[in-house]
Amino acid sequence: MDKKKAIVVKNLKKYFKSVKAVDDISFDVNYGELFALLGQNGAGKSTTIRILTNLAVPTSGYIEVAGYNVLKDPTNVRKNIGLVAEKIILYDNLTAMENIEFFGRLYGMKDTVIEENAQKFLKLFDIWDFKDMLISKMSTGMKQKINLARALVPDPQIIFLDEPTLGLDPVSTKHIRDFIVGLRGEGRTIVYTTHVLHDIELMNVDKVAIMRKGKIVSIGSLSDIKKHFKKAEIVEIETDRMLSPNEVKGKILDQDDGYMKIEVEDLNQFMKDISKLNVQIRSFKSLEPSLEDIYVEISEGNDVEEQSKMVNVKE
Amino acid sequence: MSIWDIAWKDLKTFLRGKTRVIFSILMPIIMMLMLGFIFPKTGGSYSGNIGIYSQDLIFNAKVEKLLPATATNKMIFYNSKQDLIDALASGKIMVGAVIPKDFSLSIALNRPVTMDVIPSPANPQAGIMMGQMLVGMFGQEGASNVKQNVQSNLINADGTPFNYYDFTVPGLMAMIAIMSVMTGLASAITRERELGTLDGVMVTPISRGSIVIGKVLAQTIRGFVTAMIILAISWLFFGVHFTGISLLWTIFLLLLGTFSFIGVGVMITAAMKEQETAMITMTTITFPMMFFSGVFFPIQQMPQMMQYIAYIFPLTYAADALRNVITLNVGWNFIWLDVVILAGFAVVTSLVATFTFQKLTQD
Ligand SMILES: Nc1ncnc2c1ncn2[C@@H]1O[C@H](COP(=O)(O)OP(=O)(O)O)[C@@H](O)[C@H]1O
Ligand SMILES: [Mg+2]
Repeated sequence: MDKKKAIVVKNLKKYFKSVKAVDDISFDVNYGELFALLGQNGAGKSTTIRILTNLAVPTSGYIEVAGYNVLKDPTNVRKNIGLVAEKIILYDNLTAMENIEFFGRLYGMKDTVIEENAQKFLKLFDIWDFKDMLISKMSTGMKQKINLARALVPDPQIIFLDEPTLGLDPVSTKHIRDFIVGLRGEGRTIVYTTHVLHDIELMNVDKVAIMRKGKIVSIGSLSDIKKHFKKAEIVEIETDRMLSPNEVKGKILDQDDGYMKIEVEDLNQFMKDISKLNVQIRSFKSLEPSLEDIYVEISEGNDVEEQSKMVNVKE
Repeated sequence: MSIWDIAWKDLKTFLRGKTRVIFSILMPIIMMLMLGFIFPKTGGSYSGNIGIYSQDLIFNAKVEKLLPATATNKMIFYNSKQDLIDALASGKIMVGAVIPKDFSLSIALNRPVTMDVIPSPANPQAGIMMGQMLVGMFGQEGASNVKQNVQSNLINADGTPFNYYDFTVPGLMAMIAIMSVMTGLASAITRERELGTLDGVMVTPISRGSIVIGKVLAQTIRGFVTAMIILAISWLFFGVHFTGISLLWTIFLLLLGTFSFIGVGVMITAAMKEQETAMITMTTITFPMMFFSGVFFPIQQMPQMMQYIAYIFPLTYAADALRNVITLNVGWNFIWLDVVILAGFAVVTSLVATFTFQKLTQD
């Protein structure tokens, strides 16, 4: 048992007959981290979450959550986790508070504590006034907020969020994203899945694993992944005179008088080279490669070789 | 307590669905009224023993000449009315006749006389036919017009008038209670699985066993309420009589009968992914059960092969015990075997159900 890790996954596999929903993945998550599983529909994100939350049994592999073996000690695991699944876990014909109370009691919580915690989260979401409204009368955005409160009231140290912003309007999406970032601030461990790259860029996740066809094709911090996939860098430079193409190493994308847009292989080398030239630099800008491009490239890569490009960008 | 939380939540969500509540009240009423009246009123020839409790000594001396014992019809004398009823309950006799003290004398004096005829609750048609035969035979003693002076009075063991529903109603009660619980379970589990709320419950520290027990508890309570509605209807519309004790036994048997089947319900719904499939499977099981379990047709009148099948269904035992309790007002001594078998069904299927639920909810 590794008490320092919130989650340890080793060689996890889950096959549904011929479908390899999860195909030999390994990763770990530290306590207090915001970890993202990114991948397109069918990549295996939900299946991974279901196994980690003891809702599905893996075909093979080792999994540990909150320091307990999920298969051998599921009750202790369940005491320490909260789940926001793809489907909203709320009863339509119960009110917000009745739902929260019901689930809270299953954790053995006292009603007064449930009430206290519920008030905290519902007020934070600005929906305390609707606590006695039936779920069936609520908008999707409101439901999702109650759903989050439902998962958080038992105060779990590890929270699994499977595409919690799916089908929400931009405003609710922003609320929920900001809220999740706030949760990390409280020291909770969060596992967040999404197929929207933008989400995790905005949330500034600590670590992201990109899944494709049941495999993790890339894992590391956002900047690690960026660095790793950065084959070339785009540089915009303005100089006092026009540079000739043989003075700079790299592919010239655009040129106009003293302005030049160049794709360079190695930025450091480029800087060294240019400083040796007899030229005055008026402005210099290095354009970050778009993470979107990287994501699309690795999660959509359509040839088989692409998969073998699996990288492990460890800290 | 978590089990109660699960049960209470199931009941609460059920009660919030207005249409569902209305239909679950209407269903047993409609079923009782419809099915209660389809019982056939005439039948073919019957065989079985005849029980007689006679207070008329002259009659006793003469009667054996009247009805020579045959292989199929034997006459058995009992020393008390209770013995006669006990014999009916245990199936030794098909019909019981109570001969009053002045029976022979009345016939001799050409005075009208009435004898009580109690048909077997397990097969009232046969009992009634044989009762009529007895009236004819015993009346032959006197002159030809004497026959009309002998009246048979069809009664239940408690002396209340016998009616056909006394046969169908106990079985119907059990059947409707079981069916409403089974349908309730089908939606309670499969529906929650489809909605995704079952995942929410299973991810909490509560054990899978407690979830099953909680759901079963909720459905049993629902079944109990349904059973009470059925009791009220059978009392109001079908003239079924209860004594304090038979009422208690009835409630107990209805609960046990429901419980004996609930495990099967859990197994089916846990195995089925969609609500629709679960419902169809449930109907496929309950529908033949209705006909095999002797709810409408006496098992004794079924072909031998079908009789064997009848004993597979717990409903058969529930209906049998309920009939003894309601129409004969007898207790433990005559239903213990049914009770033991039902309890066996309940324990075994519940254990298997808990196990299957655990397995099947982890795909
Ligand atoms: N219960 C199941 N039975 C069969 N196949 C499944 C089941 N659950 C998921 N799959 C398959 O496994 C793959 C991964 O699905 P999923 O984990 O839901 O992906 P994601 O959440 O990333 O969209 C998909 O091809 C899906 O069809
Ligand atoms: Mg998914």
